[in-house]
Amino acid sequence: MNQMNESVIGKNIPRSDGHAKVTGTMVYPSDVIIPGMMYGAVLRSPHPHAEIVSVDTSEAERMGAVCLTYADINPIMYNERSVSIPAATYRDRTVLPSKARHFGEPLMAVAADTEELAHKAVKAIKIEYKVLEAVYDPDEAMKEGAPQLYENIYLGDNKLTVKNNIGVVRNIDEGDCAGGFARADRIFEHTFDLERIYHNQLETKCAVCKPEPDGSLTVWATAQSIHANRQLLARILNMPLSKLNVVRLPFGGAFGSSIQVNTVTPICACLALKAGRPVKLTSAREEDFYSHQKYPARFTVKMGVTNDGVITAAHVKALIDFGAHQVQPLPFMGCTAGWFASLYKYDGNIRFDGTAVYTNKTPCCAMQGYGNPQINFAIESMIDIICEEMRFSAVDFRLKNYRGIGDEFWGQGPTIRSIIKSCGVEQSLVEGRKMTDFENRQRPEDRTGDIRRGLGLARGFHTSGTAGPKEGEVIDYSSALIKINEDGSVDLVTPVTDHGGGTWDALKKITAETLQVPFDMVGLAPAATTNTGYDVCTHATRGVYCGGAAVYHVAMKVKERLLEYAGRLMAEHAYNLEVARRDELGQGVVQVKHFPSKFMTIGDIAKQAQIMSWGTIAYTDSYRQRNCPPCFTTHFVEVEIDTRTGVITVPKVLIFGDCGVALNPDLVKGQLIGSFNRGFGYTVFETMPLNEKTGELMNKGLLTDYKTPTSAEMPKIEDVEVILCDTYEPSGPYGAKGIGEAALASVQAAIANAVYNAVGIRFYKLPITPEVLLAALKKKEQEAAK
Amino acid sequence: MCDKIKINLVVNGEPVTFEVQPHVSLLRALRDNYYYDVKCGCEEGDCGTCTVLLDGIATKSCITLAAACEGHEVWTDKGLGYNDALAARLQAAFVECGSIQCGFCSPGMIVAGVHYLKHGGKADRRAIKRSISGNLCRCTGYVKIVDAIYKVAQEIERGALA
Repeated sequence: MNQMNESVIGKNIPRSDGHAKVTGTMVYPSDVIIPGMMYGAVLRSPHPHAEIVSVDTSEAERMGAVCLTYADINPIMYNERSVSIPAATYRDRTVLPSKARHFGEPLMAVAADTEELAHKAVKAIKIEYKVLEAVYDPDEAMKEGAPQLYENIYLGDNKLTVKNNIGVVRNIDEGDCAGGFARADRIFEHTFDLERIYHNQLETKCAVCKPEPDGSLTVWATAQSIHANRQLLARILNMPLSKLNVVRLPFGGAFGSSIQVNTVTPICACLALKAGRPVKLTSAREEDFYSHQKYPARFTVKMGVTNDGVITAAHVKALIDFGAHQVQPLPFMGCTAGWFASLYKYDGNIRFDGTAVYTNKTPCCAMQGYGNPQINFAIESMIDIICEEMRFSAVDFRLKNYRGIGDEFWGQGPTIRSIIKSCGVEQSLVEGRKMTDFENRQRPEDRTGDIRRGLGLARGFHTSGTAGPKEGEVIDYSSALIKINEDGSVDLVTPVTDHGGGTWDALKKITAETLQVPFDMVGLAPAATTNTGYDVCTHATRGVYCGGAAVYHVAMKVKERLLEYAGRLMAEHAYNLEVARRDELGQGVVQVKHFPSKFMTIGDIAKQAQIMSWGTIAYTDSYRQRNCPPCFTTHFVEVEIDTRTGVITVPKVLIFGDCGVALNPDLVKGQLIGSFNRGFGYTVFETMPLNEKTGELMNKGLLTDYKTPTSAEMPKIEDVEVILCDTYEPSGPYGAKGIGEAALASVQAAIANAVYNAVGIRFYKLPITPEVLLAALKKKEQEAAK
Repeated sequence: MCDKIKINLVVNGEPVTFEVQPHVSLLRALRDNYYYDVKCGCEEGDCGTCTVLLDGIATKSCITLAAACEGHEVWTDKGLGYNDALAARLQAAFVECGSIQCGFCSPGMIVAGVHYLKHGGKADRRAIKRSISGNLCRCTGYVKIVDAIYKVAQEIERGALA
């Protein structure tokens, strides 16, 4: 009678929110409607740098609009992103600025009864500007006499003077770099350039704010962290936290662009409070382009290598042009240094000199990897260069130098470190080499013809969360509430958000497995800030590993109470009891160990506990992980290049992912494939040139002129192979680590290395568009002719 | 502001009258009347999240004038799911094949897939990819979306679906 039921861990279960999503019944922030709500619209700066001399909103107000200007807001300075401790957070912005610092910056806002009226009212606002000279290039910005964006900013509570537009300097020096380089037989040095790109999440940022009769404010907004939104809004609005309720919602993608509180959210909250009515504020796509972009980076990488293939030292100089406001370039550079430091051992000799500079451009923020795809492109290109020039096997060289089990990993910059306990690198490299016959690939000089193929390799990783054994600059813990209902079903309340990767199902699975109830008996309760404990954010690939660990911790406590109550009812010691799933009963039971015929369903136990007035079998707590294990990826990419058109296509890709135990393998594979698609766009298409006369994007914020990959550019499904490594992370819930951001890290370098293998041209700058490739081919031909 | 006009059309099988301003798009008219399964991604005709069937043809509703739909028939993803066996099957295949992540492109993508299958589309991945290339998805990389449409096309070819 006690059949062994298949565990839900590692089983492909169709996602719980699937039906709602495919039928279009899922409610996203942009679908929230409140009776009587007004619509907001934002006046955005037509200049890249300008002082606001005077404002006249009288015409707009005559039209019935509620107007919000700098004079209306609480001018406290903040950073939109709040995952770091306050002492490590630079603050430079207010809800609306007194001065425009980039084209498209929100300067004023209105709310009106219809969207159309709101936009008309925006046009009726009269502003007089004093246009200032703008600066777009980070090198120019650091020169004496360059236009200055700021006089003062804050770091924590300390007021700082900004000199030469330098926002943050972050230098890290470990070991003995000079000694390491001195021991090297060869020194390599190259500069790599990565442009800004745009997240292009399919739903633009949106907020709906509703003033409640009791003086509180309810907020539905695009948010990766409901608690971060609540805390920032409370500070801005000077309201108690208990009066601010931010509701957890699914959203149409984010890729990191809603780790920070989105600019429109505080604007919407201020409008709603001023109007005393609910307000909805949705960004148009053209506005969204000016709201968040991926950090660009320029890296100069120097590495020393011995003739027997050991990297003896590495030095990275980084220049980051982060735009008009800081969305935490300080931890960005710390993380970037950490990704660099943790890829290889470098004999322990590393140096990172990072400078982040203000320019009159859209503020940059995280986008799947927080510096990882950028620095990975530089380092993994560098490794390929070394292997090509010194004729090392690209696989063996990596195996000799990589950081694996027992080595230190910087999960979130130099202050968050932990020891690697699970690692799929060797499996990925060795199996991949065999499957692609990598060592026997043709050399670039042997490839001929108009159509050339090339095979490339790169490896990467990302952290799972930001919680090291010792607390550092970044806050990390999560919370959960679980209760067993009187019919054996279970309610799970979590503040953790799901970007679409399936985090919620993973948390449900952890609950179901721990309490041994059928997956369908676990319900994900609606959640908001007033009824959940704090969770820092679904960022840093921490949803399953950290959010899941909190769920596991709380589920274990619930199980303890369940066994205690069962013991009383069954006249058994709790330690003699265990939980077991009985699918034939449609729920879980508590049974006597080794004597399963004596059992009670957990529904009956909960019901009896209720009848006896013992109370609900429930528990809530917060939990902090004590590790940040890396999840590894390796990409073997075959490219095909048409040398007549410069078009790069990918006939074949082999992806290895190491996420520990995959709680839902299909969803993990889906993330790896989706990330390949975004990485392909980053490598060959995506670019956003600026009109330097006006500070405006050349595409004017229109998707038509921002090429991202469509279905037509992806390889056939038969030609995308994803292999999940056989690893188990001892510190993770049921052996799980993350995968989300790791999935992108090594895509760019793998494609670029494959391009090198195809045509023998090294690209140090992305994207490799057809124009760029054709020009390089032509140049190579001319040089060969000389 | 201009006066509103009345337009009569059939949405999801039901005759409806929308009062709209003459310049309003079909997307706005639909969302103003609570057809929230029609998503708004760019309002420029680029992303395809707002795709509906207009007289049986997959159409981007954001660049279609509502007033031009007088007397025409519109089906949205949700309406199709409740009324059309093939669309319901495709929706289910999206769930089975893991074709969804954030889900924001899914309604438009499914309508594009329904158009393909209803116009004699075969189980041919190249043709499927072309047919949905006007719909953007930033999460999935399309592979599993193509897989879902392919799966249903195979079922049609086998006669498993009417």
